Amino acid sequence: MENAHAYGLLAEFDTPADAMHAAEKVRDAGFTRWDVHTPFPVHGMDEAMGLKNSKVGWFSFCGGATGFTAGYTMIWFMNSFNYPIVVGGKPLMSPMFPFPVVYEMTILLSAFGAIFGMLFLNKLPKLHHPLLKNRRFKAATDDKFYVIIETSDPRYVEEETRELLESAGCKHMEMVGE
Amino acid sequence: MSSESPQSSKPSLDLAKYANLPNQLIVGGAIGLLIGFFAWREQFLYSYLTAFMFFLSLVLGGLFLVLLHHLFDSQWLVPIRRICEHFAGLAPILGVLGLPVILIFAKSIYPWMAIEDPHSDHALHVKYALFNPTAFWVVSIALFVVWTWLANRLRKHSLAQDETGAATHTQAMRKYAAGGIVLFAFTLTLGVIYWMKSLEHQWFSTMYGVYYFAGSVWTTLATMYVLTALLQRTGHLAPVVRDSTFKDIGTLFFAFTVFYAYIHFSQYFLIWNAAIPEETFWYVKRENGIWWYLGMLIIFGHFFVPFLTMLRIDVKKKLTIMAPLAGWAWLMHYVDMTFNIKPVIDPEGHGISLSGMIQSIASMAFIGGFLAKFFLKSFITHAPFPQRDPRIAETMGVYVELESEAQAQTKSAKA
Repeated sequence: MENAHAYGLLAEFDTPADAMHAAEKVRDAGFTRWDVHTPFPVHGMDEAMGLKNSKVGWFSFCGGATGFTAGYTMIWFMNSFNYPIVVGGKPLMSPMFPFPVVYEMTILLSAFGAIFGMLFLNKLPKLHHPLLKNRRFKAATDDKFYVIIETSDPRYVEEETRELLESAGCKHMEMVGE
Repeated sequence: MSSESPQSSKPSLDLAKYANLPNQLIVGGAIGLLIGFFAWREQFLYSYLTAFMFFLSLVLGGLFLVLLHHLFDSQWLVPIRRICEHFAGLAPILGVLGLPVILIFAKSIYPWMAIEDPHSDHALHVKYALFNPTAFWVVSIALFVVWTWLANRLRKHSLAQDETGAATHTQAMRKYAAGGIVLFAFTLTLGVIYWMKSLEHQWFSTMYGVYYFAGSVWTTLATMYVLTALLQRTGHLAPVVRDSTFKDIGTLFFAFTVFYAYIHFSQYFLIWNAAIPEETFWYVKRENGIWWYLGMLIIFGHFFVPFLTMLRIDVKKKLTIMAPLAGWAWLMHYVDMTFNIKPVIDPEGHGISLSGMIQSIASMAFIGGFLAKFFLKSFITHAPFPQRDPRIAETMGVYVELESEAQAQTKSAKA
């Protein structure tokens, strides 16, 4: 069987509007393993694809909270516990003077949380992706819009899926191998 | 009322039964203030000043949002721009309400005015160029003239554009905004130095202007959020307001929550770190008695509560959370103004007095009632949002084809 090694069905569209309508159809048909590739961000695509708000925020929040606590703990440990040192006649520990450091730590670790959380959720880095072999797919960074439905999707039945994408106005379709 | 028909299917809200509320506030406030004027003169003056500074925040905040809109050629602000213009247009009303009290009783309000020989006090001596009664009078009046002029220029062009739809009005408003933002920064700083900071004339803080500005825009955005939601439900703004309008106002509100905290912390931090008596006395006084708790309330209530509440993006679209938060923002801004003004008459922080409570509420009701009355009057007599702003279609989420595009399409259709 040829399809045993197929990654998915790639459908090409000429305009963002066509791709968006196709995405709505695919979403409504209940597919779960699929994606849309466009040369630039298309407003409203998240909704058309039925994507919920990203979970990256939780990673940055946890990172930020860790940074905040770690910043205060670090300064307290260094300046008033492990090696108490009086600077400028100020108290050994106060919420005031460490704050710039605490604030920077909060930002640094929440940025780390955002970056690494994003990489983790996207399963990146990835050494290879089947779409990268496809010659036609290069246009995804130029002027074409693609919807790809993976063959591993439980809803995937080749004939029906082809019909669905054709009815959405797809001009060109091809199977992408693993 | 306006001719706009509400597009939303929700039953529209009717606020007609509250039409008399501003009058009731004015009368109630006036009675309270009259009692205060004769019985508790000091409380009356300082509470009135607090309410004046509170509402000045909304007027200047409105003006700032209009300037911001034109400077950045923004799209999200279009639905609420007319409301902001009316807010800014309240400047002369606030001037008439506030200046007579501030100017006539200046000697009772500002201790530096009562010093017999200004050159006997070193702090006053070196600041004499600004801190003398003549400059105080002239600048106070001039500031309101400038704000009134700028607000009226911007609103005049905006209203004219409703009629003509000409792009020249947008271009003119941009020019006013470009010069206006500089004027705005200087005038706001001068105003807040004269009316609020000079209560303790020995004090120094280079951040005071921006500190007041941050709190002002913060409060204005909270107000705008609730007003937009209300006016969407009454149908006035229903054609232009979308989900993203609330998200955008909420996001800027959130940003200003952080900005205010950043500025106020920086002011405190520099003074704390330098530990120079000329600067620290201001905060030392505010650690006495009740002022300590008010200070804590500002840290936690003005920053942490709204910050943590609004962190999630979906919260910014939920009126059930945002409306109480906006009310809370009003309270916090009032606490902030009180924290700046009232320790002058109660340096020990004895606590809340009945006279103080009555005067605070009466002043807020009196000035707020007048401003609400004039705001409603201008809102009702004009279109509720800029009718023919170049970005109105974009705001409504509609794509309007350019003429060149339409021509190209008919050509290709013929071919």
